[in-house]
Amino acid sequence: MSIVEISGLKKYFDAVRAVDGVDLAIQPGEFLVILGPSGCGKTTLMRMIAGLEKPTAGSIQINGADVTELPPRKRGVSMVFQSYALYPHMNVYNNIAFPLKAQRREKKFDKATMRGKVESIAKLLEIDELLDRRPRQLSGGQRQRVAIARAMVTQPAVLLLDEPLSNLDAKLRANARDELKDFQRSSDITAVFVTHDQIEAMGLGDRIVVMEKGKIQQIGSPQHIYDEPANEFVATFLGSPSMNILRGERHNFGFRPEHFLPKTLQDNPENSVSFVYFVKRVEYLGSDRLVYGYIGGHENKLTLAKVPSNVRVSLAIEDEYEFAVQYDNIKYFDEASGERIKAPADFAR
Amino acid sequence: MNLLGLGKYPLDNRRLIGALFLTPALLYILLLVGFPFVLSIAFGFSDVTVGNTDLSYVGFRNFLNVWENDIFRQVFETTIRFTLLSQIFILIFANILAVIFTQDFTGKWFARFIFILPWATPVSLAMIGWLWMLDTKYSPIDYLLLQMGLLGRGGLLSDNRNLFWLAAPDLAQISVIFVQVWRMTPLATVILMAGLSSIPTDILDQAEVDGSRFMRTLLQIKLPLILPIMVIALLFSMITMFGDMTVVYVLTRGGPVDYTRVLGLYSFQVGIEGGNLAQGAAISLFAFPLLLAMAIFMLRTASRAEVR
Repeated sequence: MSIVEISGLKKYFDAVRAVDGVDLAIQPGEFLVILGPSGCGKTTLMRMIAGLEKPTAGSIQINGADVTELPPRKRGVSMVFQSYALYPHMNVYNNIAFPLKAQRREKKFDKATMRGKVESIAKLLEIDELLDRRPRQLSGGQRQRVAIARAMVTQPAVLLLDEPLSNLDAKLRANARDELKDFQRSSDITAVFVTHDQIEAMGLGDRIVVMEKGKIQQIGSPQHIYDEPANEFVATFLGSPSMNILRGERHNFGFRPEHFLPKTLQDNPENSVSFVYFVKRVEYLGSDRLVYGYIGGHENKLTLAKVPSNVRVSLAIEDEYEFAVQYDNIKYFDEASGERIKAPADFAR
Repeated sequence: MNLLGLGKYPLDNRRLIGALFLTPALLYILLLVGFPFVLSIAFGFSDVTVGNTDLSYVGFRNFLNVWENDIFRQVFETTIRFTLLSQIFILIFANILAVIFTQDFTGKWFARFIFILPWATPVSLAMIGWLWMLDTKYSPIDYLLLQMGLLGRGGLLSDNRNLFWLAAPDLAQISVIFVQVWRMTPLATVILMAGLSSIPTDILDQAEVDGSRFMRTLLQIKLPLILPIMVIALLFSMITMFGDMTVVYVLTRGGPVDYTRVLGLYSFQVGIEGGNLAQGAAISLFAFPLLLAMAIFMLRTASRAEVR
């Protein structure tokens, strides 16, 4: 049984449809990432799960109970905000203990139990040395751990994380991502993680929910949504650089830059489609070369190729080459709706 | 165009524009605060009167005379008592109102507007209004109490048809404090409202998710976070009130007897109305070290409580 069950969830702010009909089942112990560009409704969706925002329509169930009308404190969820939202006037201990104190009357535990809980979660997150410090005396990474400790101390059913890594510098971020995933696995908590960063999403998520314009575009494992995008939006939103989309006669088709290689490099040339490729510019990125150019017949659209640096192919600017894509790496999309369609029997560009 | 060495775009010169923007404030402080202050010190150490404007130095004579005067001591004590008592009520009301006015409800804009009026009205005008409200014979408050049966023969409060708000010693003091609270609460509230709305929403959302209810969020999150601003609000209203004379001047002239005479009024009565400028200056200067100490103490408290 799923731990969170969302059905028909909508949130309209006047004319703006922030969340526009979302159905989603979150499984116990999974790390679910909600991914989408800013303004796609992902944060609103999370705030509705937390109880901070009242839905316009639809329902939310947590652990089988309908919580749609319940305040946050009765939902068994906790949240880590992008800013960490540590209480600046309290030391680390009191920050972590705050949710326990707030729920003390309902949960009925004494001071010693409380101290024990705070200390053990602090130890787990390796911040037990910092309990007397104030938030302003902590580094970004330490603040993030305090925020997670505070969210975890009540042993919530679901941990909601709103872009908690975006305030860390790039170096720390990769490390924090790793630790977060380890922590989630070892504590077996259900985590819902909101982000606009596809690398974070791919690296962390057991499943990724891609959102756009208040609607879910696709749900699936990172590899599945990357390899089998449900529509043009998902296809172009994931991947860097994004998928090349070209206009065919009856439909659009696309392929990823890393699949668009000189024909001589294709493992299976007879199973691929060839294009005349006019190279306009080459960027050397270390491990790869990023090639900008045009495909014959599609001169109005810049097409990118990502060629590994370690293959001995020289690509000169202003020259024409024969490039190819394997059949199964070409995805077809309906021209009007952008939805993915099956490869037509009579393959034609 | 380079006459003053300011370059072609003098308004882009940070030093110049800084000086330009500071000038009005500086002039205001020098002319309306600094000059009278220096003058009152000069007066305080001289024997100047309205009739004799020669300043001859007399040392601490004026201050000693004032200090040994029983009326002054009573006035000084009354001033401190009025100030402290009214601050307590102002702080309580301002906190409650600030919390109410930062909630969402229909008609909030209008309620805020009505509420700010006591502060926006010129003091003397407002006081004339209160003079009528508290009138010995025609007070509307007395009328209401009378209709409710609390006044008049057999009434709970008094057998009389009037309470004599400004004529009975205790009631006069209560009235003055009440009117001061009425007048000063809006400013303190506005300052506290600014403080409350400057608390990041994330913090308040976090408290809600953490399971905190209204009172806990108020007492453990909101109030500690606005403490520095609260101290500033308190400082403002305390200093304004300590030096104020308009309220009592219009309402009671310090009476009955000396029960509502405060420092500002006493200084005015001795120095201007009585013509003894030197004594008047000395009286008002007694407030200076006290207010200075208070201001330093409170500003230090505020900066220590500052957490962000």
